[in-house]
Amino acid sequence: MIALANKNISFSTITSFLKTGNKTSRFFGYTGLTVGVILLLCCVQMYINLNQLLKEKNPRKNGFDFISVTKTITNDNMGKDNRFSDEDVADFKKQSFITDAAPLISNQFRAKASAGDLIPFSTDLFLETIQNNFIDTVPPTFNWQVGQQDVPIIFSADFLEMYNVFAPAQGLPQLSESSISAVNIILECIDANGKSTKFSGHIVAVSDRINSVIVPKTFLEWGNKTFGNLPQQPAARVYIKTIDANSASLQNYLQQKNYHVNKDKTKFGRVKSTLQAIIAGLAGLAILVVLLSILLFSFYLQLMISKSKDNLQLLLTLGYSPLWLSKTVAKKWVPIFAIIILVALAATQFFQFMFQQNFIAGQDKLSPFIDIYVLSLAAILFSICLFANFGLIKKQLYKL
Amino acid sequence: MQIELKNIAPKFLEKEKIANSQVWQKKLFFEKGRKIQIVAPSGSGKTSLIHFLYGLRNDYAGSIFFNNKNVKDFDNIQLAKMRAIHMSIVFQDLRLFKEHNTFQNIEIKRALAPYHSVSQISEMAERLGIKNKLTQQAETCSYGEQQRIAIIRALQQPFDLIVLDEPFSHLDENNSKIALNLIEEEAAQRNASIILADLHELPFFKADTTIYL
Repeated sequence: MIALANKNISFSTITSFLKTGNKTSRFFGYTGLTVGVILLLCCVQMYINLNQLLKEKNPRKNGFDFISVTKTITNDNMGKDNRFSDEDVADFKKQSFITDAAPLISNQFRAKASAGDLIPFSTDLFLETIQNNFIDTVPPTFNWQVGQQDVPIIFSADFLEMYNVFAPAQGLPQLSESSISAVNIILECIDANGKSTKFSGHIVAVSDRINSVIVPKTFLEWGNKTFGNLPQQPAARVYIKTIDANSASLQNYLQQKNYHVNKDKTKFGRVKSTLQAIIAGLAGLAILVVLLSILLFSFYLQLMISKSKDNLQLLLTLGYSPLWLSKTVAKKWVPIFAIIILVALAATQFFQFMFQQNFIAGQDKLSPFIDIYVLSLAAILFSICLFANFGLIKKQLYKL
Repeated sequence: MQIELKNIAPKFLEKEKIANSQVWQKKLFFEKGRKIQIVAPSGSGKTSLIHFLYGLRNDYAGSIFFNNKNVKDFDNIQLAKMRAIHMSIVFQDLRLFKEHNTFQNIEIKRALAPYHSVSQISEMAERLGIKNKLTQQAETCSYGEQQRIAIIRALQQPFDLIVLDEPFSHLDENNSKIALNLIEEEAAQRNASIILADLHELPFFKADTTIYL
């Protein structure tokens, strides 16, 4: 018995029996699909670029961002207590995008600092304390026990900078980070009755992260009890530890709670979420364009098949299998879809190269080549086109 | 291929016609390689019977079996396979691609399941006297010529059964004999059965069985 030769027949055998449809609708279908696919691939590539570029913008410790959070002071809440309760701190910790949160506890007694005879400098001081693991530079000497005369201090690098700006005008010497530890500070703690107790303070480290004068927790707790004589007060500032200070969920949370953060640290987050929204909108549009082109294309196929209906019916009557006919007719579009996808990939590659060269001046942090995800998406789109096309043709042919 | 008709009857035919028939609601069995003539006056359901056999219509009671398989149970793919390599046909209404030329009409069938080489097409065309018509658009050929095109087309494939529905209606006796000869030769090569249906008995067709529809 002779086997069915279906496998060996090419599309060219039946090509003259198919009547093609309207050229204009075919052209618009192809153009639309190309534009849509280019737009979609570019959107995904830009989304990846954006995440890559805005990933590392903050001083980070072990991959975490530390941000100081205060409550926004407005005209409405100015007179009220705008400090963080224990519940507020607990709520921070509950959020999935916040790894840890710690309140900055401040002094509840009057503290004065002077530098002795060497530097004629004296100022009222605020002292704060926070969990050690929130401080970027903690030397082993940073601890204090009751009865200890010597108090270690961690000083903000910003304050040091500020001091150095104004010191010459006041006739004071400028100090470097290393020399500051040599300065003997007389720390005076004054209780409610005006009785003063002196400690000898010295700066053991300078912190880039925390803008404050940090003393060991044990010292401040003891001082607040001894000199302040007040119950534990809530904190005005909370430091949060997070994987990504620019994450949209963190932004939303802070905004919703009306919390204020150092804008510098999260401004990329706002830029990022705005850009992400724009890109998502464009991607949505791109998907719409792709869907509309596939729809237009399906109309074209329906028209083509209904025009060729008599011939196709006769081919089926003669023994051509509807499955084979569907496959063969569908195969005609494989090269067309392949060209559309390749053109879109080439265009995306071109835009990526131009973006990398011109917008960020060829910096290493962005590859000039399109991402693997974009390639995968292109492959997925190609398969979708093929299956949609085959499905449509098969449906039409089986109806005959 | 064994052919078995079990009590088949078109749903649309008058009861009286069914009752007087030797086919409708009868049990018929044909071994392979038989020549069967069906004589059927107008309106007796001849073309319907041909379409039932070819799996084009299912509006009948009873069953048709090819090698014990019910034609009604065939799906699209099985039907296509049956038409491509097991059963060939010459329709009464010929069913040619009108806009294509004679050669294309034959070749499209040959390409599907080639039994003969391309050169056989012109040999057969020469034998049936339409060789100079091979490049002519099918629609512009006379009906007699078109009948011969349809016959040549039907002989391009392998088959166990060839069904002919008034294949010589527009041919003179001499041309009919030549065409029938060719068909019988081709069927003999394949050890295939022939079912020839016509309005009246053809004197030059030596059938093994003649049945009145």
